[in-house]
Amino acid sequence: MVKGAEVVIIGAGIIGSSIAYYLAKEGLKDVVILEREYPCWGATGRCGAGIRQQWGTEMNCRLAKGSVEIFKGLSDELGYDIEFEQGGYLVLATSQAQLQLYKRNVALQNRLGIPSRIVTPQEAKEIVPILKTDGLPGAAYCPTDGHANPFKTNLAYLRAAERLGVKLYKFTPVVGIEVKDGMVQGVITTAGRIETSKVVNAAGGYSAEVGKLAGLEIPTHSERHQIMVTEPLDGLFDPMVISFTSGLYCQQVPPGSILMGMGDPDEPPSHNLSASWQFLQRMAQEVLRILPVLKEVRVVRQWAGLYNKTPDAQPIIGEAEKVKGFYMAIGFSGHGFMIAPMTSYILARLITGGEPPISVERLSLERFERGELVIEPSVVG
Amino acid sequence: MRIVQHPILTFARGKKISFTFDGRTLEGYEGEPIAAALHDAGVKVLRRSIRLSRPRGFFCAVGKCSSCLMKVDGKPNVRVCIEPLREGMRVETQRGKGELIERG
Amino acid sequence: MREVEIAIVGGGPAGLSAAGIALQTGATALLIDDGQHLGGQLVKQTHKFFGSKEQYASTRGIEIARILEKGLEGHPHLEVWLNSSAVGYYPDGVLTVLKDERLVKVKPARLIIATGAAEKMLAFANNDLPGVYGAGAVQTLMNLYGVLPGRRALMVGAGNIGLIVSYQLLQAGVEVEAVVEAMPKVGGYWVHAAKLRRTGVPILTSYTVLAAEGREWVEGAIICPVDERFRPIKGKEQRIEVDLICLAVGLSPLSELLWQAGCKMKYISQLGGFAPLRDGNMETTVKGVYVAGDSAGVEEASTAMVEGRIAGLAAATSLGYRIADAQRLKEGLWAELEMLRRGPVGQKVREGVKTALINQDSDS
Repeated sequence: MVKGAEVVIIGAGIIGSSIAYYLAKEGLKDVVILEREYPCWGATGRCGAGIRQQWGTEMNCRLAKGSVEIFKGLSDELGYDIEFEQGGYLVLATSQAQLQLYKRNVALQNRLGIPSRIVTPQEAKEIVPILKTDGLPGAAYCPTDGHANPFKTNLAYLRAAERLGVKLYKFTPVVGIEVKDGMVQGVITTAGRIETSKVVNAAGGYSAEVGKLAGLEIPTHSERHQIMVTEPLDGLFDPMVISFTSGLYCQQVPPGSILMGMGDPDEPPSHNLSASWQFLQRMAQEVLRILPVLKEVRVVRQWAGLYNKTPDAQPIIGEAEKVKGFYMAIGFSGHGFMIAPMTSYILARLITGGEPPISVERLSLERFERGELVIEPSVVG
Repeated sequence: MRIVQHPILTFARGKKISFTFDGRTLEGYEGEPIAAALHDAGVKVLRRSIRLSRPRGFFCAVGKCSSCLMKVDGKPNVRVCIEPLREGMRVETQRGKGELIERG
Repeated sequence: MREVEIAIVGGGPAGLSAAGIALQTGATALLIDDGQHLGGQLVKQTHKFFGSKEQYASTRGIEIARILEKGLEGHPHLEVWLNSSAVGYYPDGVLTVLKDERLVKVKPARLIIATGAAEKMLAFANNDLPGVYGAGAVQTLMNLYGVLPGRRALMVGAGNIGLIVSYQLLQAGVEVEAVVEAMPKVGGYWVHAAKLRRTGVPILTSYTVLAAEGREWVEGAIICPVDERFRPIKGKEQRIEVDLICLAVGLSPLSELLWQAGCKMKYISQLGGFAPLRDGNMETTVKGVYVAGDSAGVEEASTAMVEGRIAGLAAATSLGYRIADAQRLKEGLWAELEMLRRGPVGQKVREGVKTALINQDSDS
């Protein structure tokens, strides 16, 4: 174990790994990642890995579009195929009111260069031939949204970071963060102490716990979300199909399996990672409402992961005012994978003192105390 | 090939029935796994691997290994090592990962 | 939601025996099996069993399956679901079963997992060619359905399964060109080896298979002697003409449900892989979840039957059902296990079981 580091990152998921990569790329020599388990153990290895640009606020649209631009060149940049594919996102509307909201969002997205559009039920059926369109008022569609392999993306970032000198310690839980006069001094792990003035909390589902170690009350909580996946089949449809009303998302991923997930409004805060039969049942019923031919397909696996949620379902990006040197990239509320490249790049710029390409001041930790929540209508809860 | 004489066993075979394999009419016994009837007819290659198109056959016989997935009566990914044979079944080599919707 | 007293997953020797004794105490049981018939692997065992009279010594496996099944047939407290896969066991104690293409939920007061074992694979070139079959698959094809798996066979592995299946291949009219075994000596019972040797089949110890040859299916095999560190000796490769390569390289417990249930598992090589820790009642570390047979650690059908009886007895008595001399019965079953595991062949298993046993004197 090293004795000291310029920056210590807690968490080797997609967020921690990509921050490490961008820090090293910015020229930092002593970056360390501490991972309690192993890379991809947490939310990254359990996520749906959809990549969507259809957002309702300018900041989110820009973060997402910037991320897609990075994703496009990422396999080449990192020297590892992350299986990025742009099959689009089809966002179903369930009411005229929702369709109106989508129209406003599409106008915003188009202004920012995102090629989304409103489609009729007939067009939606052309895009997803197995879609049941009865009672569907319409949908929003963006052909450049997509999907990547979350394991490969995480590991690609990690390996590239390691090639640039980043050190990864697996199975090394952080048990303490030393803070003196409001400044970070070091990190204590089960394997020893590392002296550092900069710590990054990229602990995903355990962000509040890591915050406590530095004496910070971070208003994030974790919530179980589940996914199930079917046997592989030849291509049936390209885009991710989602509904903000039911919170459902469903996509056929490159191996041919159909992956689907859905939130549960009654899910209590917890770190529960066990799968439930109730999800299996509810998910099957909901997905058959919109994609009825899937009734012939066998489910082969189900699992659970954690959403790390904030009160406004928007992430916390930046340095804590009360503890200098304590940076955060947490609380992504289920959308961390898709905006990881850009947010991590921005945080790396903030740490090295460079100018970030997009301002994320609105995503500070202190916004909750000030009551300045970010209102984003387009989240999958 | 069927075992005709066995020192210990006698085989209680079901009704002799016919089915098709890739359009060819074959015979088998009702209720035995489709794969047994195919093996008897000398059909050893049941599917092709997805990436390298390597031949794959019967392997575990208990529905666990997915080496024998075939299309049966239009339905893809049927494990023929455990699926009972029925009169008139349409058994086909499946292309790729299997099509859920039959295209004309 | 279907509530039952005792659900038993797996209708092989362990599951059938567990059901038998549970019913004897008055308990009700649901027996779930993913196959078309009860009996598990017994239905293709044409050889005669060893062991005690209680465990059907000198009786062929196929007959034992019939005897066990007959003993349960039509019992009013027993329900049997065939062609039904237990696909999940959840933290709230619900067992999900795929039955007739539907997901059925069962809530058992006690669960006995007797799912058996799966065959291990061996790495060699072209091991995915049709004609490379597991020993269990070969038995199924020829002993259950009367279909010849090939004409000329190479058997890989000289443990009990390799030896027995080689003999069965001969009985079915298949030529066995050779049995190769990487270890320096035969692993199975001497009786089985001797019986095979008398037929003239060479048993080549310190030998392995390097490759299968053939375009669409197996047309030959490359075998080769290995040194004391199991490395093939260069220049000693031989090609033999076979159309069947039968793998009998061991089994590992089918433990998915045990993992899902949250049972404490331990990698125990002598038992074939990950096995659940269990006490003297065959109860795992999850209360109310019992294990028996190969899923508790790979052994023989005879020990599976005894373990099944221990688990079935414990599950039923824990629900309040009584049987005369339950304690003596249990002790007798453990004594039988000890007897079946005697001798040099049982040594590995004895070591393995010792590591898996916890709270040995706990009673319920």
